[in-house]
Amino acid sequence: MSDFRGQKLAAIRAKVAALETGGRAAAGALPFGANEIDGCLPGGGLSLGRWHEIVGPGLEAETSAAPAGFAALAAAPLAKGGEAVWVFRRDDLWAPGLDGLGFPPERLIQVCARDEAEVLAVMEDALATAGVAAVFGEVEAVDLTAGRRLQLACERRGSTGFVIKRRPFGGPAKVERAGSVAASRWRVASAPSEPPPGEFGLGAPRFEVALERCRGGRPGAWILEADAAYSWEAGDVAHPLRLVARLGDRELAPAQPADRRRAA
Amino acid sequence: MKQARRLAAVSCEAAALGLHVGQKATDAAALVPELQVADAEPQADAQALRELVDWCVRFSPAAAADAPDGVFLDISGVAHLWGGEAELMDDLRSRLAVNGLPFRLAIADTPGAAWALAHHGADGTIAPPNGQGELLAPLPPQALRLEPEAAAQIARLGLRRVGQLMEIPRAPLGRRFGRHVLERLDQALGRGAEALAFRRPPTPWVARLAFFEPISAPEDMARVTQDVTAKLCARLEREGRGARRFEVAFHRVDGKAPSVAVGLSLAGRDAKRIARLFQPKLETVDPGFGVESVTICAYAVEAVSGRQARLDAGQDPAVEDGLAPLVDRLVNRLGPTRVFRVRPRESHVPELSAGRDLPLERPAEARPWDRETPRPVRLFRQPEPLEAVIALTPDDPPSQFRWRGRLHRIRRAEGPERIAQEWWKQDIGDVSVRHVRDYYRVEDAEGGRFWLFRSGLYHAGEPAKWWLHGLFP
Repeated sequence: MSDFRGQKLAAIRAKVAALETGGRAAAGALPFGANEIDGCLPGGGLSLGRWHEIVGPGLEAETSAAPAGFAALAAAPLAKGGEAVWVFRRDDLWAPGLDGLGFPPERLIQVCARDEAEVLAVMEDALATAGVAAVFGEVEAVDLTAGRRLQLACERRGSTGFVIKRRPFGGPAKVERAGSVAASRWRVASAPSEPPPGEFGLGAPRFEVALERCRGGRPGAWILEADAAYSWEAGDVAHPLRLVARLGDRELAPAQPADRRRAA
Repeated sequence: MKQARRLAAVSCEAAALGLHVGQKATDAAALVPELQVADAEPQADAQALRELVDWCVRFSPAAAADAPDGVFLDISGVAHLWGGEAELMDDLRSRLAVNGLPFRLAIADTPGAAWALAHHGADGTIAPPNGQGELLAPLPPQALRLEPEAAAQIARLGLRRVGQLMEIPRAPLGRRFGRHVLERLDQALGRGAEALAFRRPPTPWVARLAFFEPISAPEDMARVTQDVTAKLCARLEREGRGARRFEVAFHRVDGKAPSVAVGLSLAGRDAKRIARLFQPKLETVDPGFGVESVTICAYAVEAVSGRQARLDAGQDPAVEDGLAPLVDRLVNRLGPTRVFRVRPRESHVPELSAGRDLPLERPAEARPWDRETPRPVRLFRQPEPLEAVIALTPDDPPSQFRWRGRLHRIRRAEGPERIAQEWWKQDIGDVSVRHVRDYYRVEDAEGGRFWLFRSGLYHAGEPAKWWLHGLFP
């Protein structure tokens, strides 16, 4: 009997998923390669063909270094299969830094828009273009209409959007109305790095990542490390982010399976 | 005397009877009683000359008018299309003869020599390469296109041939007759350059639509733009070509012709796509009292081969399908400086090591960035000054600093990485140790990672200046 119940549940889940994607088949998911994170995400990874929201705490809401770095790292495997477009109003994004993290800057087209509405319009245009795999946009707020439009654009070609919430020129924060069409919402901050024992200086970049909201998934919080950043093999790993610890208990995660580090 | 009517031009027959340009019309009528004269029309002549120059473009794209009655054709690199210079001249001769124009032709290395031979040498002379000197020597000095005063003075001194002028040492020649004579001589002999004002057609890729009634409604303007674009693109398609720039001009009733232009990142001929790029720009066109015709020109035309639809649809889409139209839309909407791809440049100064290219341009050869030296993802255009910096001099990283009103305590640091000015690129006097920067990568207690530098070398007693240049994730 329990099998019958399981089948029924699976059928209902599939129906709900089909309703949520508007009848189109889901474009798949990009696994992080760590069960702790992938288990919280629907489809076992960052859903593609949707758009994701990335916010930074405190001053990061203005400077947006950690959210931008996290977005680039999360999308790096996508950039291997297509072009990427980054839309912003304040052009302080620096390609040599992305290169060091392992994001291929030669696949990135940067667009400096004049205002907020233009950022969203360019994002929408780029998302609906064949050959574009990932689109990043730095915006202050996305209202429901704009979010819905972004979602429709994502669905046309199955490309993935990353909305980095940023007030590029400072100023008071906009009061955001509740509700968003985003597939997930991440809060990303820099975390203190740990250099390998016996070495001086800084370790690989670490992020304190909280999955605050996720459609069809569960929230969670982790510490991730871009362990190949600033090394010769940056950009050659399957996924540049590695789980270091679940937040709360700082115990190291079990050793990664060997195949996760194989060259892509 | 000023009121006298003089001959401005004479026919071959009249010249044979002893009439010449500048003669008084009454004197000429006395010599040849049955002489027929007509009023000179310099403007009509100039117009006719312009038409002749445009016609000459069939022989060479570089044709220049030589007022009042000459044409220069630059035939370097085109003569072989006719089989040689002589064959080209024969063709030109037969075509001009059909038009019924009297003419004299000459080919030489320099415009000056060709002019001299055409006006004073034998008709149809072809000077061998570097052989104009011997051919010019027996010609009269007027053949050098001299100013009347200089020509008169040369004649007064009894110099009758160009060859005699060539024998005079340069310095006395220039002193006596003026620099102009030297210049003309040099131009004729190929020792000095001469610039000709070539009259080039804007582009051969033009299409035009004219209307019975002037139009001015925005939707009409949009439609005629589409139609005229389709007309030109059909021609481009027939001839296997595409263009990178299109310009539509709206010829208004009042004679003005406002125009709008769009550029493509890859040569194209898709009429719908190009018309769509024009659409948002049409608002800026003022139709005035109405537009009576519209023309479109294509520039930067190049061969574009037709593409077969891919059999393996759904694989990697071609650049022409997705990316190129996107880049064109963005560039035409935002301007060409706002859409770019960043590529490495050969420089170790951080600001200069990343350059902006057009998105679909081929990358220039440059060494890629070194991934193993950490660089920030956010680089400030202007480094921001740091306050309350506590650092051990001369080369320890700071242990704390204040930036944007917040105090950061440094937990870990890397450095220094010394980056100096590129002294080999500038005057040695402008180089100063003040422009030396010592960069540190530091991490504060909360995990924020910063790229800061101390400017200048350490001097005892002088406070060090610290700046924040970028942020790491």
